[in-house]
Formats: sequence, C-alpha cells, structure tokens
Amino acid sequence: MAEAAMPQRQAAGPLATDAHDRRHGLAPQLVDGPIDVELLRRQVAADTAGAVVVFVGTTRRATGDVITERLEYEAHRPLAIACLARLQNEALQRFSLEGCGIVHRLGVVEVGEASVAVVVASQHRAAAFAATAWLMDRLKTSVPVWKREHTANAKPCWVHGEERPGL
Amino acid sequence: MLGVRQPRFSCIPDGFLMDGRPLTIMLFAGVAECVGQREVELAWQGGTAAELRGQLRDRYPAAASLLDRSAIAVGERYCRDEDQVPPEADVAVIPPVSGG
Repeated sequence: MAEAAMPQRQAAGPLATDAHDRRHGLAPQLVDGPIDVELLRRQVAADTAGAVVVFVGTTRRATGDVITERLEYEAHRPLAIACLARLQNEALQRFSLEGCGIVHRLGVVEVGEASVAVVVASQHRAAAFAATAWLMDRLKTSVPVWKREHTANAKPCWVHGEERPGL
Repeated sequence: MLGVRQPRFSCIPDGFLMDGRPLTIMLFAGVAECVGQREVELAWQGGTAAELRGQLRDRYPAAASLLDRSAIAVGERYCRDEDQVPPEADVAVIPPVSGG
C-alpha cells in the first residue's frame, strides 16, 4: 500500500512532500487565471492532519440593491507575496498547523468565480477553522490587493476601506 | 560618460524640485486613478514616511483623503510613520486594501 500511495502523493504536491515541508507552508501564489482549489487542497493535505478546511472567496452578484457584474483585482505583487508568506508563517506557528496554502487571483473575476482560496490542515478541526478565519481577516486588511467593482448602474469603482494597511 | 543617460531639463515633470533626487513612487488602485498615473516622481533627499505622504498630499490634493489612509511601503515592508525613507528607495503608496 505504501508503495502504491507514493507516486500519487508526489504528483499531487511536489512542493510539500513531507511533514517538515508542510509546516513551512506552500509558497503563496498570485495567479492571473482560475484557481485550482482541488490541487491546492491536495498539496496542503497531510497524513498528520485530521482536519482540512478549504475556504473559497467568490464574486457575489448582489450586495443589497447593488448588482455586481464582475470584479477586477490588482496587487503590488512583491509586497503581496511577502505579506502572504508572513501571514502564513505566523498562522502555522500560532495554530500549530500541519499545512497551509493561499492563492489569490488577479484580473477579472466573474460572478461565482473564486478570487481567493485558503487551505489549512491541522490535527483537529478547531485549529483549522480558527486559522482560516484569522488568515482571511488579516488578508483583507493587510495584503496589498485591491478590487474594482463593475456594477450594472454605475461606473467602475475601486473599493477602499478606512483602515491604513500594515503588517 | 558613455552609456550614462544624463538628465535633461525638458524631461523634468511639473512640480519637480531641484533640491533632491527624483524618487519614483508606485501608485495603485484608487490613488493611481485619482492622480491619473501609475508612477510619479518626487524630489526627495530622505525623510520619514509621514513626510513623504505629506508631500504627496500637497502635490495631489484630489487624492488627499485616500493618501491620508494610505501606507508607505519600501521594498517588501510597510513603513511606520516615523520610519526613514531613503533616497532611491523602492517606494509604493498602499491605499486601504480590499482583497479577498
């Protein structure tokens, strides 16, 4: 059984082939096309984990009366990758995770498509749920990625909150 | 000197001051839209991140509200207000983020 399982693991996750590598996390990614959530899940999943949480953020069509046609994302790429890596490393230590991976999509993301995926593996589910929420909360306030909303009845508009970013 | 491009006065953008080296600053999202450019140059002899933000605010009043809420990043790090931004640094203005 062990011999049969080995090639499958290598194909699924070349960047995380043992528990030591997983604890360092996969390199976070910014992609310009659809996110392969299942590939990310396979790369993060670990034999030492009893829980794997997959979070996928998608483009929502309606916010109250506002109808969103699509979202468009841009980033300060080097800073965003550095911020994601710091967040990921902190989550791995803070929640004693077995694995963690984050992918954010840039460019146009149509309604229903994924803009971000976070996968967290831990020994028990409580840590995986908590780490996923913690990562998303911080990603949304500190990682230099911006969305531009295209709506049915107004010109496209960049979305900016009130809080000055920092990490 | 061969191979070295000498600055020409005709290339100096409006508002450029001659008492500091030009610092190229990257702009993103709403700040870039407000200013109408993805990059701007500012005369800069060094100073704090807060001072840099103040200079940009003075030069681009239409973007003042957003600049007040923006961070300054050097390389792959966010600056605190009191951090020094050296001349020739790799600088970006980071308005409030909205990823996810």
